[in-house]
Amino acid sequence: MGTELGKYKTCVSARSTSKEILKKAQDGGIVTSLFAYALEEGIIDGAIVSGPGDEPWRPQPYVATTVGELMASRGTRYNISPNVSLIKEATRSYGLDKIGIVGTPCQMQAVRKGQLYPFGWRDVDDKIKLAIGIFCMENFPYQSVKQLVEDHAAMKMESVKKMEIGKGKFWVFGERGQVVQLPLKVTHKYEQPACHVCLDYVANLADVSTGSVGSPDGWSTVFVRSKNGDDIWTKAIAAGCFETKPIEQVKPGLELVSKLANEKIGKNQKTVEARATFGVGKALRNPYIKP
Amino acid sequence: MADKITVGHVHMSGCTGCLVSLADNYGGLLTILDRYADLVYGLTLADVRHIPKMDVALVEGSVCIQDKLAVEEIKETREKAAVVVAVGGCACYGNITRFSRGGQPNQPQHESFLPIGDLIKVDVYIPGCAPCPQMIRNVCVMAYLLLKGNKEQKELATKFLTPLMQLAERGTEACGCDLMYDVVNQGLCMGCGSCAAACPVRAITHEYGKPNVNREMCIKCGACYAQCPRSFFNFDVVPEFEAIMEAIGAALK
Amino acid sequence: MSKVVEISPTTRHEGHSKLVLKVDDAGIIERGDWLSITPVRGVEKLAIGKTMDQVPKIASRVCGICPIAHTLAGIESMEGSIRCEIPNDAKLLRVILQCANRLHSHALHNILTLPDLYIPGTETKINPFTPEEPVRSVAKRIQRLREIGQTIGEIAGGEAVHPSNPRVGGMYKACQPRAVTKMYDLAKEGLVLAHEQMDFMIAVLRNMQKRDWTDVGGKQVPIPKTLGYHSQGYMAADPVYGSSNLDECPRWDPKRWTDVRPWDWYMGEVEVSLADPSYPVGGTSPVGTKANPQMEACTGVPLYDGAPVEVGPRARMVQFKNFDEKGTFGQQIARQMEYPDCLHTIIKCLDEYNPNGKVLADNIPQGDGSMGWAANEAPRGCDVHLAKVKDGRVLYYEMLVPTTWNFPTCSRALTGAPWQLAEVIVRGYDPCVSCATHMIVVDEDKRIVAQKLIQ
Ligand SMILES: Cc1cc2nc3c(=O)[nH]c(=O)nc-3n(C[C@H](O)[C@H](O)[C@H](O)COP(=O)(O)OP(=O)(O)OC[C@H]3O[C@@H](n4cnc5c(N)ncnc54)[C@H](O)[C@@H]3O)c2cc1C
Ligand code: SF4
Ligand code: SF4
Ligand code: SF4
Ligand code: SF4
Repeated sequence: MGTELGKYKTCVSARSTSKEILKKAQDGGIVTSLFAYALEEGIIDGAIVSGPGDEPWRPQPYVATTVGELMASRGTRYNISPNVSLIKEATRSYGLDKIGIVGTPCQMQAVRKGQLYPFGWRDVDDKIKLAIGIFCMENFPYQSVKQLVEDHAAMKMESVKKMEIGKGKFWVFGERGQVVQLPLKVTHKYEQPACHVCLDYVANLADVSTGSVGSPDGWSTVFVRSKNGDDIWTKAIAAGCFETKPIEQVKPGLELVSKLANEKIGKNQKTVEARATFGVGKALRNPYIKP
Repeated sequence: MADKITVGHVHMSGCTGCLVSLADNYGGLLTILDRYADLVYGLTLADVRHIPKMDVALVEGSVCIQDKLAVEEIKETREKAAVVVAVGGCACYGNITRFSRGGQPNQPQHESFLPIGDLIKVDVYIPGCAPCPQMIRNVCVMAYLLLKGNKEQKELATKFLTPLMQLAERGTEACGCDLMYDVVNQGLCMGCGSCAAACPVRAITHEYGKPNVNREMCIKCGACYAQCPRSFFNFDVVPEFEAIMEAIGAALK
Repeated sequence: MSKVVEISPTTRHEGHSKLVLKVDDAGIIERGDWLSITPVRGVEKLAIGKTMDQVPKIASRVCGICPIAHTLAGIESMEGSIRCEIPNDAKLLRVILQCANRLHSHALHNILTLPDLYIPGTETKINPFTPEEPVRSVAKRIQRLREIGQTIGEIAGGEAVHPSNPRVGGMYKACQPRAVTKMYDLAKEGLVLAHEQMDFMIAVLRNMQKRDWTDVGGKQVPIPKTLGYHSQGYMAADPVYGSSNLDECPRWDPKRWTDVRPWDWYMGEVEVSLADPSYPVGGTSPVGTKANPQMEACTGVPLYDGAPVEVGPRARMVQFKNFDEKGTFGQQIARQMEYPDCLHTIIKCLDEYNPNGKVLADNIPQGDGSMGWAANEAPRGCDVHLAKVKDGRVLYYEMLVPTTWNFPTCSRALTGAPWQLAEVIVRGYDPCVSCATHMIVVDEDKRIVAQKLIQ
């Protein structure tokens, strides 16, 4: 294994011990449980999460300051939720001094860049106390999800109970027990284009990052990365928030995570390189080289 | 402790908000002045009337080309300073002075304001209006390491400052439209929201995850584009955020 | 025969300005003109045709030290023109923002003027940046007071330097209960520090007032008891906040305002005939330098009832609190006395504020071109903006900013002082020069010559 999984201190398979959280969590309820713990312990005084928005399955970033508000954000909405847009406002009209934020790997990159290069983020850098990253292969525009659900899966957005990407399929679960699985080759065309230059699968820059891949159903794979993340995770374990299993003892385990990470990075690295010769003597911009 | 660097604040046609932002490092400002930098020029804070030689000039504001004094001053700044930093949207991009069109008493001829980069070579850009205290602080600390640090520190400072030097090379125009031109149109926007968080006039909202810029609010400060992780993202620096933040924190303790 | 001295540029205030002084044989100012040398960015003119929402954001950028005043006066002049009443909770947030800014600004001004003053009981002038005690503790207290002001401003106003939360019709965001508590705690902490800082500054100022002389560039310069006295009037719209044409009883009257030509107020061409290379820092302009304040001057010496007026802390205290101390020291003392009320007012507003209340008017008219005005009491004085809005766009915009009111008044106040203390008098006004859009610009050529000669 190379650098595809980023730096981390520990990696485990874990699941929340709260039945209540697990009822509607996407996987092992790691994000919601860890924020709830941090909130109750005063490690954070609010978390930027993404919850239900104006249309079914359309996410809306918001600042949760109670466990009740966190509960409403459980589950994955496979379309763009600009969570980082609230990072400054959280310290203003919400009055937060200790912010939690959840986001995709690119959003973790945004947060860290903003801490080191806070051009327009005054008084934010030292207030970010818990950044939880979620694994991400790709994201979708809202209209894409709508077309996948309504056209390909033949369901109304309102009647979808859960969506999931796993085992090489896009799954749509209906309120009345319908289960539709779409092969990923159907979903590819609908992906957000900018995801094709993304070189991070497992949120390398989060304090703690998590996703379903690598762990059994209902469990999550968790990377504990920063000192700060390690500290909070250790305390949360001691407080009994999670049951854990060594990652080496679960199936399919880290190998699959590595494989998918390498696939994503490899494929996208090629896209990045291809941009250099996209036109005739004209390149598309490469943000990893210069602005 | 190695000797200090000399820093000056040069005020062109700006509003002093950038300087206030520097001062808003509060106790940190005192530490910077105690240990790392001597403020050798700055009409607002220091009692010095004429531009001296200095290591780093922090320039605030754009230049009115109908004001000969201002033009002289910016040229003199270039001659006297080893490193010229354009602090804030006005110095980098013109900011609100891009809207100036003269006609106001008693100097109706004062109508043309240029970002300093149109008149002199600028080394480092710090866009924003006002750019954040922490950003100015980080650049000051890195400039110190670049000039006075050991080999490793010099390397780190170079890596940190490189994108800011590249921003200076990129040009003297900025607008919320850059998010469209250079991010969305380039197939690079993934909808993180950093740009909206950076905008000082709330000109940016996200519609279905992508930025919408209210161009009749935008003041052309350049914060949004600089903040965007898809304008630049240096893999050799940002992943080291924990160590770098700790080092900066320790330096200012 | 009187001689002419020029100090250019003046230091330790915001923006660029200079002093042209006619002095008698004893070096006492017979007549002084204080002028600005900051280019005119022309915000009033660039505003024309822009939206009423954008113009106050641009106006804010006229000055980074009192951006709050410009934002609020700008927005409220637009609201005055379109006749838009804002909800009470929005108003409360604006008042909190206003007071927070005043707190930070007064504290910043302390840093700028301390170098003119002595540590009581010593012959040491105060360098606010020295790590030595007792000054370091004072510097830290000042920075903490500024931090408290800026942080409260940031919460209520969205941003500490150029506030993003205020908008035509109210505010973008209401403050949540946690934010309210945070501001409250900060204000409580600030109140203790503000009292300490006020007492310290007043002691230092009283000590200075008792001295017979002060050291300027190695010379003992006598301090007259009437330093900075003038016989102009005062103008203030409110002890804390301001007034607008929407008030039942407006406390400013556009009919009483006139703009006169500067040649009514400033001297004609003069040649520098007295130079002092030992004046800190770098000496005064060399003999032979030409200055012509009258011809070089801009429009807009704003008059109120036909005469220049003083605006600022003392004007507020005179108008609303029967304060009667004159001169530079009286002015400085008045400023210090405003410290506690910044925090008392914040606390009072927070008590009244309802986090669930509305902060945006239901109906925001687009305007029919009527005149609106708002007078906001900026830290350094009354900041009046006048606007006409039609169909959401600005037809006319005028900014009568504090330092513009004070230029002619302060020029008069120079008379009778030793020329070496002219900058001390100017600093008493806490001038904020780049905002002074109506101003006086000197012949740049000559200044460059002056600069080269000195170097
Ligand atoms: C676009 C996307 C793609 C993903 N791809 C993969 C993948 O390839 N492999 C994998 O293992 N895991 C992937 N995940 C992560 C996975 O779906 C779960 O979100 C993750 O395992 C957390 O589950 P949980 O039970 O711990 O969290 P929960 O307790 O259920 O909480 C979920 C959290 O995710 C946040 N959230 C929901 N939607 C979004 C969104 N659109 N943007 C940002 N935050 C959001 C919510 O605010 C909530 O806090 C993806 C997630 C997203 C959003
Ligand atoms: S694939 Fe990358 S760019 Fe796309 S949403 Fe996921 S983390 Fe962001
Ligand atoms: S960038 Fe903004 S804060 Fe800085 S000088 Fe310009 S207007 Fe003022
Ligand atoms: S900051 Fe984020 S949302 Fe804004 S343009 Fe850049 S990638 Fe898109
Ligand atoms: S959109 Fe906002 S952040 Fe971007 S340039 Fe305009 S004012 Fe600045």
